[in-house]
Amino acid sequence: MSFIDSLMAGLSLVANLESFLALAGGVAIGVFGGAIPGMSATMAVALTLPFTFAMQPITGILLLLGVYKGGIFGGCIPAILIKTPGTPASSATILDGYPMAEKGEAGRALGMALWASCTADVISNLALIVFAGWLASFALSFGPPEFFTLILFSLTIIAGVSGDSLLRGALSAILGLLLATVGLDLIYGTNRFTFGDPNMMGGLNFIAVLIGLFAIPEVLAMVWHPTAHLGKARSLGNNWVSFDDYKKSFRSIVRGSLIGVFLGSIPGIGAAPSAFLSYSEARRKSKNKPNFGKGEVEGVAASEAGNNGVAGATLIPLLALGVPGDVITAIIIGAFMIHGLQPGPMMFVLNVDLIYGLFIGLIVSSICLFFVGSVAIKGFKYVADVPKRLLIPGVLVLCVYGVYAVNNNIFDVGVMFAMGWVGYAMMRWRIPAAPFLIAFILGPLLEDNFRQAMLMSGSDWKVFFRGPITWFFWTVTAITIFAIVRMGVNAAREGRNQPEKES
Amino acid sequence: MSERRLQMQLGIGACLASAFLIFAAIPNWVAAPSNIKNILLSPMFWPYVLAGCTGVVGLGLIAAGYRTAEGPSEDFVDAHDEGMGAWVRMIGMALIMVGTMALMPRLGMVWTSMLCFALTAFLVKTRHPVAAVICAVVLPLVLYAFFAHVAGVAIPQGNFVRLP
Amino acid sequence: MNFKSILAAGTMVAGLTATAAFAEYPERPINMVIPYGAGGATDISARSIAEPLGNAVGKPLVMANVTGAGGATGSVTVQNAEPDGYRMLFARVGSHSVSPAMKATLPYTLDDFRFVTVYEINPVACAVNPSSGIENMDDLIAKVKEGGVTYSSSGVGSLLHLAGAMVLREFGVENPLEAATHIPLKGGGAAATAVLNGTATFICTNSSALASFVSNDQLDPILVTTAEPVPGFDAPTAADLDKPALHQLVGWTGIAGPDGLPDDVAAKWGEWMAEATADEGFLEKMTARGSVIRLMDPEEANEFIETQYNTFRELVDELGMRVEG
Repeated sequence: MSFIDSLMAGLSLVANLESFLALAGGVAIGVFGGAIPGMSATMAVALTLPFTFAMQPITGILLLLGVYKGGIFGGCIPAILIKTPGTPASSATILDGYPMAEKGEAGRALGMALWASCTADVISNLALIVFAGWLASFALSFGPPEFFTLILFSLTIIAGVSGDSLLRGALSAILGLLLATVGLDLIYGTNRFTFGDPNMMGGLNFIAVLIGLFAIPEVLAMVWHPTAHLGKARSLGNNWVSFDDYKKSFRSIVRGSLIGVFLGSIPGIGAAPSAFLSYSEARRKSKNKPNFGKGEVEGVAASEAGNNGVAGATLIPLLALGVPGDVITAIIIGAFMIHGLQPGPMMFVLNVDLIYGLFIGLIVSSICLFFVGSVAIKGFKYVADVPKRLLIPGVLVLCVYGVYAVNNNIFDVGVMFAMGWVGYAMMRWRIPAAPFLIAFILGPLLEDNFRQAMLMSGSDWKVFFRGPITWFFWTVTAITIFAIVRMGVNAAREGRNQPEKES
Repeated sequence: MSERRLQMQLGIGACLASAFLIFAAIPNWVAAPSNIKNILLSPMFWPYVLAGCTGVVGLGLIAAGYRTAEGPSEDFVDAHDEGMGAWVRMIGMALIMVGTMALMPRLGMVWTSMLCFALTAFLVKTRHPVAAVICAVVLPLVLYAFFAHVAGVAIPQGNFVRLP
Repeated sequence: MNFKSILAAGTMVAGLTATAAFAEYPERPINMVIPYGAGGATDISARSIAEPLGNAVGKPLVMANVTGAGGATGSVTVQNAEPDGYRMLFARVGSHSVSPAMKATLPYTLDDFRFVTVYEINPVACAVNPSSGIENMDDLIAKVKEGGVTYSSSGVGSLLHLAGAMVLREFGVENPLEAATHIPLKGGGAAATAVLNGTATFICTNSSALASFVSNDQLDPILVTTAEPVPGFDAPTAADLDKPALHQLVGWTGIAGPDGLPDDVAAKWGEWMAEATADEGFLEKMTARGSVIRLMDPEEANEFIETQYNTFRELVDELGMRVEG
């Protein structure tokens, strides 16, 4: 069957009202689910799954993909409006999105998030369609040593989100790494800092830590000084992103999308590191570097492009290898199997019409996302007009529900509260929160992959230098660290010559 | 707090934390099997590395603190100091959180979060007391309806009044 | 310690005090805890039976995934719950026979639960990467003797962890812990991927987790542990290879309540499960995934789990695999 034939076969599968309704409905469910902290894209997909059993395979899968994409975008709405990431992937959006909302530019931030998400989505889908085969074989060459070097490199992002003091950023990161060691040891199953509590054995819940670190300190800051916000413009107003903003951020968006495609095609990394990496790259290259972290629209664009760029690309290992890249795609694989479809190389031979149908549906989903997203922003924008001293208790209650819902465990609510105080202390001592979070995500991966690599090689060091991929990451890591050290030395020299011009 | 004092405090804190981890926390609270052949694979290896890093960063912060000139710095949190009032409110918030955790298994999440909302709203001296009370009642109910009946989450119910 | 006598004593005491109060059971929705994450074997099994089971119960079943520590976190929430039948657990081979056998640190034992049923059996299959040159168990054992063989699992105390060691042991490897290296990964999907990309040499896990890789020729099955062949798996069974001891190595899903669950509640569950597992749609869905639906009543379930636990425990003690500390 030629390409055109396959395309036509695919088109005949999806060119019906049902498919489009499923897509649009899915995106709407996703945006809504993603916008509720704790609900997250994962849960939205899991909840939609049972409804797809009765549908045609393609319709059901398109519905789930719509939820997935919508959910990843929806997460940015609470991140920007109330500093509470709706999904882990949107935590990088907080860095500039929330300051923009504080300046009364929530509309501009949300608009940019939507445009960047849709652009990244299109790029990611195109990458899936064009490079699926090639990237999939690439993904399989990632074993523990390659992961180890990739994550080591990703940890250098910390320098980019450390704010005014690299040392404080490093301290924050180490705190995150330490906290991530809580739980059962991977290799030996022994206890680490669990104090015999079965709730601690599973490690600290990621979402609880995340929300505790970002949302609860806002509550505490409000308690400390209830009238600090008065006189600040916070309403959404009529501001909206301009085409000029988009044009200026376009390079960052494309770069972020490509980072997302790359990290998404490798199973096991996920959207949050991609968003942070995209953000820190955008900051490094941007002309407005000093404005990053203070409400720079390009920062919002970069992080949203980074996380939505992942959404299409995670389907590469899923479709081409049958390997799920994260929890969401693991659930989507379940949907394939319920319908008797086995994702993997054979699917491109046996169900080629379905594959092309999916491709066409994915392209349409980016358009759906644009329209549904616009409507959602209009609906949610009223949140910005709620008096802040009513909003804050509301956020608190919302977080309690959301964090509980993630793992049905009251203990996680306690973790969130405790992390809130840690986060507030960090705020007071001006320790940036973002490095903590990145380290908390990447730390366990770094350790696990290090030890897995040592196990697989029988404790042979040379495994970390096998093949070109490891060499590539060692090289870029070395270059980055060199650049950071040089920057640090320069800053220290300047700091001595002209003191007190830092923050 | 000046930049210099801040750096020094953090540095000393980090050094103390590092010492605590190395000498007390890791030996006591990290269990490792006795028959590990390669030290790099031990469950204790990574925590020790991190504890060491904490110490190094702590020393770095102290050194940087020495080199930072003493002087006033713009401070976004401390700029406003309400004195006692602020501390009392912080303790109040801590009590609200502890109370929330204690009551949730007994009263159920809905009733607890109503109390939590109302107390927090009055703690921050809201200008809309009536709206606060209405929200305190409505928001937890709406969230309950959504999470329990749409999302199918088993929201904890108390021993007293159970919602449908 | 006799598992059964304690259980019987416990239920009798609870039965005496509670029978009257539960005449109307169930009078409100029942919370069902799934101790593993969404998309896993336990989750799919639980959510597939939820609908027919809910119809049989007549009250809604509220499904709750409580994940962490290889199923321990979720199991503990049921262990500590009131034994009133309103909080029940989807128990799984990993959380309720392998982990108790392997982990001294586990916060619960089998005695803390009362099983009302086991309804699903999953055959276990071992598979290798086709490019490894291993075509059957003999090749694998020969390779193990050469050294450098690894097997992947979804974590310490998982079925996969034990299965790898048990299979090698049955095929005559004296000390499988020394001869082959266990590589724990995060989750079953990652464990299969590890064999796919050559990180590990082989994997032994539920056939449903391998089905798509096998049908795509990405992995080669070399053994299934059941007596009957598994559809789609072109590999000898343990019976073919004359290793009947491996028949114990199967996955299962069951339902358990806290210890002290009243008899009438357990009896009700027996009736409901009989009705639910007879559901056409459920049967079709589960069989398509390679599961065998076999309903056991409480006694049979207890005996089944205890036998498996004892087999595993013996192996663990013999090999010194027990996790202390």
